[in-house]
Amino acid sequence: MPMKKFLNDPENLTAEMLEGLALAYSDKVKVVNERIVVRAQPKPQDKVALVCFGGTGHEPAMHGFVGEGMADAAVAGDVFAAPGGPKVFEALELLNRPAGIILLTLNHNGDRMSARKALRLAEKAGIPVKEIVVQEDIAPGIDADPEDRRGLGGCIPLMKVMGAACEQGKSIDEVLEIGKAFHSHLATLSVALKVATHPQNGAEIGSLADDEMEIGMGQHGEGGGGIMKMQSADATVKIMVDKLVAATKLQAGDRALLIINGSGATTTMEMLICYRAAAKELAGRGITLVNGIADELLTVQEMAGFQMILAKVCPTCEALLKAKANTPYWTSIG
Amino acid sequence: MTLEQFKAVWKKAQTAIEANEKHFSELDAATGGDGDHGTAIVAALRAINHAEGDDFPAFLADMAERLETEASGSTSSLYGAWCEGMADAAPKGATALDADQLADLFQGGYDEVCAITRARQGDKTMMDALQPATEALVAAKAQGEAAMFAAAAKAARAGSDATAQMQAKFGRAKNLGERSIGAIDAGSASMATIFEAFA
Repeated sequence: MPMKKFLNDPENLTAEMLEGLALAYSDKVKVVNERIVVRAQPKPQDKVALVCFGGTGHEPAMHGFVGEGMADAAVAGDVFAAPGGPKVFEALELLNRPAGIILLTLNHNGDRMSARKALRLAEKAGIPVKEIVVQEDIAPGIDADPEDRRGLGGCIPLMKVMGAACEQGKSIDEVLEIGKAFHSHLATLSVALKVATHPQNGAEIGSLADDEMEIGMGQHGEGGGGIMKMQSADATVKIMVDKLVAATKLQAGDRALLIINGSGATTTMEMLICYRAAAKELAGRGITLVNGIADELLTVQEMAGFQMILAKVCPTCEALLKAKANTPYWTSIG
Repeated sequence: MTLEQFKAVWKKAQTAIEANEKHFSELDAATGGDGDHGTAIVAALRAINHAEGDDFPAFLADMAERLETEASGSTSSLYGAWCEGMADAAPKGATALDADQLADLFQGGYDEVCAITRARQGDKTMMDALQPATEALVAAKAQGEAAMFAAAAKAARAGSDATAQMQAKFGRAKNLGERSIGAIDAGSASMATIFEAFA
């Protein structure tokens, strides 16, 4: 059966999507060197730059979060495929500055290989770059080797926190320290009801029976092991909150950020119902929520399901989350 | 093997890979990947065949460069490392390689892939074809070029076929656990197809 999607030539998906982003949000972003999304108005050179990269097909991530208060550049690869190391390096060359650059890498094999290459090229060129690796997926287990933990939607609030710190003029080491502290109490768990189709070849990614759901699916719908019979919103959320609270080490009296990130084919109604359920679960544990999000931040085409992102927030991080942001898909008046 | 022969092999490999594009994507989806290995390996072969160069090191370095600039994803990074390793192992200015030099070439390529990934034979990845093929090729160098490539092709395909019984320990398929058993790893299958183009 042909895919029911509004597409043109499958070869041009990424280029056409980036063109659309730049046209729709021309006051915020522009595309340079074909695959690099940068701010329409660059940040002053004396502030640390934040660069991210990744495969496409996950919109609005990552390129939708370029702009004041968040990323300075996002390098797009192809659908579900990271850009090559030399392409990531091009962005580092563009953003080169004495204050330094932070490269945000999601822990997926392809992304790590590209980052490794880009960092090696930057070192040779004398460009000061430090890396932060996002690996907050708790599907392999709370005590799993960090190398086995993938980078999921938690990268977006992390980018918000670090981007705001860059904007305040903090040094590269200070921004990294803030980012690492936030990451150490950040966890994401995903659940899927229906798999996604690959927009280039129409193939279904994985499989789930009509009466099944799977907790712990990855960024692309790669299976994570936890297939079970479908349950209600409240019951599903409870399973996930239990694991996320344990992973973030949240305790009564703590303040936390909760995000319900729709995977692409989950209605806003469902996201809000799940947010409500999670908020009640957390309130029952004495945890106070700061302003949250129930929206699409990082999607997987038309996968039905969501990622629940939970983070413990200190007063510093809370202020950074609230700080001014002006990007296509995250705006805050500050 | 002359440089012209080497270039011709890659054209032949591209034809064989393109003919199986859908098959590779289906294997990828069946083992827990994102179902696009066919797309990725075709893009890699197209980038490779845009390469230019008048001797082995220059041509192989351009292959690596094009893989990393014209294509995306882990397939291209791994093949880029393979070509880069081969480029570094190729004698300066060489336009033809004897059996010993070919063995060094493939050993160099394999070593560079090992440097960028922790995956090895048994992890249900492209290494299940590349590692036994490289070992077989090097082991057969006393018997000459034809025997080397025949042995490599046979070892690559056998290594790839053996992945059907393995549980993935690497890459995205790893997250599928026991459910990854039963299907052949897509990256090993396409790698075996490339070694068959050399034979």
